[in-house]
Amino acid sequence: MIDEKLLLTAEEMGFAERCLEKAIEYGAQKARASVAKSVSDEFKTLNGKLDSVTHCLDRGLSLNVFVDGRYGTFTTNRLDAAKLDKFVKESIWAARLLAEDRCNDLPDPSRTAKDAINGDELGLCDNEYAAIMPEQRKKTALESSVFNVYKDKSLISEEGEYSDSVSDRLVLDTQGLRARQSETSFSYGCESTIKDAAGGKISGYWWDRSSKLNDLDFRNISHKAYSLAMAKAGPKSVKGGKYNIVVDPNCASTLLTPLLSALNAYSISQKRSFLIDSLNKGVFCEGLCVIDDPRRKGENGSRLFDAEGVSAVKVPIIENGFVKEYFVSTYMANKLGIAPTISTPSRPLLLPHNVNGGRDAIMEYIGEGLLITGFNGGNSNPSTGAFSFGIEGFLFRNGKIVHPIREVLLTGNFLDLWNNLEAAGNDSRRCMSKLIPTLAFSNADISA
Amino acid sequence: MRTKMNTEYYLSEFDASKENLEKLASEAIRHGGDWCDLFFENTVNGNIVLRDGIVSDGGFNVDYGVGIRVLNGEKTGYAYSESTDMKSMAAATHAASAIAAGSANIPPVNAGSMNILPHGDRYQMLKDWHLGECKIFLERLQDKIFAKDSRIVKVLAGVFYTITDVLMYNSIGEIAYDTRPYGTAYASAVFTQDGKLEMKSVSRSYMKGGEMLSEALADEIAAEVVKGIDDRFAAKRPKGGQMPVVMGAGASGILLHEAMGHAFEADFNRKGQSIFSDKMGQKICDSHITIVDDGTIPGNRGAVNIDDEGVRGQRTQMVTNGVLTSYLHDRISAKYYGTEPTGNGRREGFRFNPIPRMRTTYMESGNARKEEIIASVKNGIYVDEFTNGQVKIGEGDFTFFVNSGYLIENGKFTQPVKDINVIGNGPKALADIIAVGNDLKIDEGSWTCGKGQSCPVSCGIPTVLIKNLTVGGE
Repeated sequence: MIDEKLLLTAEEMGFAERCLEKAIEYGAQKARASVAKSVSDEFKTLNGKLDSVTHCLDRGLSLNVFVDGRYGTFTTNRLDAAKLDKFVKESIWAARLLAEDRCNDLPDPSRTAKDAINGDELGLCDNEYAAIMPEQRKKTALESSVFNVYKDKSLISEEGEYSDSVSDRLVLDTQGLRARQSETSFSYGCESTIKDAAGGKISGYWWDRSSKLNDLDFRNISHKAYSLAMAKAGPKSVKGGKYNIVVDPNCASTLLTPLLSALNAYSISQKRSFLIDSLNKGVFCEGLCVIDDPRRKGENGSRLFDAEGVSAVKVPIIENGFVKEYFVSTYMANKLGIAPTISTPSRPLLLPHNVNGGRDAIMEYIGEGLLITGFNGGNSNPSTGAFSFGIEGFLFRNGKIVHPIREVLLTGNFLDLWNNLEAAGNDSRRCMSKLIPTLAFSNADISA
Repeated sequence: MRTKMNTEYYLSEFDASKENLEKLASEAIRHGGDWCDLFFENTVNGNIVLRDGIVSDGGFNVDYGVGIRVLNGEKTGYAYSESTDMKSMAAATHAASAIAAGSANIPPVNAGSMNILPHGDRYQMLKDWHLGECKIFLERLQDKIFAKDSRIVKVLAGVFYTITDVLMYNSIGEIAYDTRPYGTAYASAVFTQDGKLEMKSVSRSYMKGGEMLSEALADEIAAEVVKGIDDRFAAKRPKGGQMPVVMGAGASGILLHEAMGHAFEADFNRKGQSIFSDKMGQKICDSHITIVDDGTIPGNRGAVNIDDEGVRGQRTQMVTNGVLTSYLHDRISAKYYGTEPTGNGRREGFRFNPIPRMRTTYMESGNARKEEIIASVKNGIYVDEFTNGQVKIGEGDFTFFVNSGYLIENGKFTQPVKDINVIGNGPKALADIIAVGNDLKIDEGSWTCGKGQSCPVSCGIPTVLIKNLTVGGE
């Protein structure tokens, strides 16, 4: 186990317990309280030299009160007994100002997590965390820089950022819920800016993250940022029209996230979803399979429970193009008269389709088109699914990159796009909370 | 309601004393470093939401703490504490001072005197915020919206407000304080017509107290929510590609924010990353163009009494008659460039160190009339409503998402358009501005800039014509 001084102390956990007791004493019928603590350190470098050092300690308490059919959410970081009593009293008073809505309720106790007891059941804590001293952090940040390797080779600026943290969260409610999750995190990101032959500045960014320090190859991240910048040098225009597109796993979640949002019962009830009435219907191509896989030990994004304390379980979200899951909180279940599920997906995983390989294999399978390595702005209309994104990447032919592109836009509708899914790889990045591999689509509208 | 306050009020709020502030600042640079500042913050924000006809969701948040920064040249040490007892603050001071460990530069702290900076004391606020009054406002607003269009099936509306007290102290003995009120009212409606859904959202944000929730504001938001909805149902995506773009007055100021403003922030230039790094004093666009970043517009979301380093809010001309005349500076970059800070040292809160950030960024009016500009376009688009934008600092490539606009054919609006992204390159777009209208409008929407940390900002622009941008389409 990690050093207990870095995690929630008995006193801090007691604050949440006290808030529940006081909420009932002041008139609430039910309440939920969560207390969280995190310690983090960040060492930034600029051109191989230390540029900034930051140390953070955060504690916060969140209280949901259910009082006379009314409901409110209140948070504070002023954690001492006297101030918390006042906070709870004011919370109850404020909740009473709101309109009655009996759909608000705690989840049925049979649905809440019973197995999140010590916080580290998912193995997301690095036991070596407490032994890391500031000097080691500084050394890691400085040694991760490759500025001196490339400074004579067109690199004009390199910003590196090493950070680590430990976080701990406990959720309690007045129906007996007690669920805890602790986690360490280590990350390093690097942005390299180069000057190309025409005098233009081009940047490349790469990052990685893990709950275990030894999983990261810091210096390789800086090399990769530089090589990404170099690869983008000398961009050329392409003609607008219909293209095959291949989307790198580093940015592919941009295209799946709006689908997951559209499956949220809140979005559906507010008619801010393009997937209304889609449950158990085949609205996507047969090759699209997405599951929620929340309980993988040691994996980023894993969790045992959601914000309400409801137990997270492995479920299909989209199966062979059929929608299998709406995300339904307790409130939305009562409001819509349907069964509750989970308020948000935990760790969505998109399964391979047509190609059991990575980006290169998919480019070879597709042959010719645009490889998208990043999105530059853009948005979508939640009610219609229409979207438009700026993209950066490369033109490829015969499965090989030809040249970088610039000032290019991808425009379409998510329903059409996902019905044109041609392939999905097996190369999602472990550091991301949504596990989306390389994707390939046909018939995409490109403006340039 | 609290009225005029003084140093003692803020010291008391944060359980601080002049002696303790001096002691902490001295300790912070005892082993080196050349600057220390402390930023105390007490923020209370409230939010309340109307959904499905009732105001049944809301709450408040309390955030309190102190951030301690130590500078050693251009290097920054930063730590914060959510408690302002001396033990906690001393621990944070120790962590922040690590940046200067071993430095030979140990300046004196201006102990024994307190230089109270002017321009502080609370930003003008006529009325405190109350959840109950917000609820009444939302109910009225909902009625006004439903009354305007029978196609509306859903209304979602809300109010979000913040009151922040800040106290700043630095190692040259300056003390500054401020109270900052912010409020946002928003509404969105979903319309149905012939089985199709359309949505329209509107928000208004100000640096004001509860007085902003007026009948006039509710009328204005309601009118804006239904405005142009017929066009939205009729709108199509244009054929994409490169074309002239007329940017409507007001919210099109996002062009300045994304395409130019970020590249004028001095930290990007100090690090050599900005596309404007070596352009100071040079002509970068047409001589009719003057671009300003302004913290002095009363009640505007981008206004600042003082920035988060205690520097007076001011008006900064970044581009004057086409020539790059100033970057936007915090204290670090101002020292680096040997100039005065411009009051742009801003931060999201005590958890963040201040960095150069925009306030209200706009272009001064030119001479052309809007109608003349539109009439001059043979084939292009007019855009006037946006949701978000982004820029890549090094390349200068920017994008913004257009909610609504019109095709222009032979100088006239023809087909409404919607849901398209526009992409271009900042310096090129700036150079490609070939007409500037005489109708500068500062937008009052809820613009929040995210540069690693969030800051309230605003933007504005007169109608302008850009010769060539890439427009997304089919």
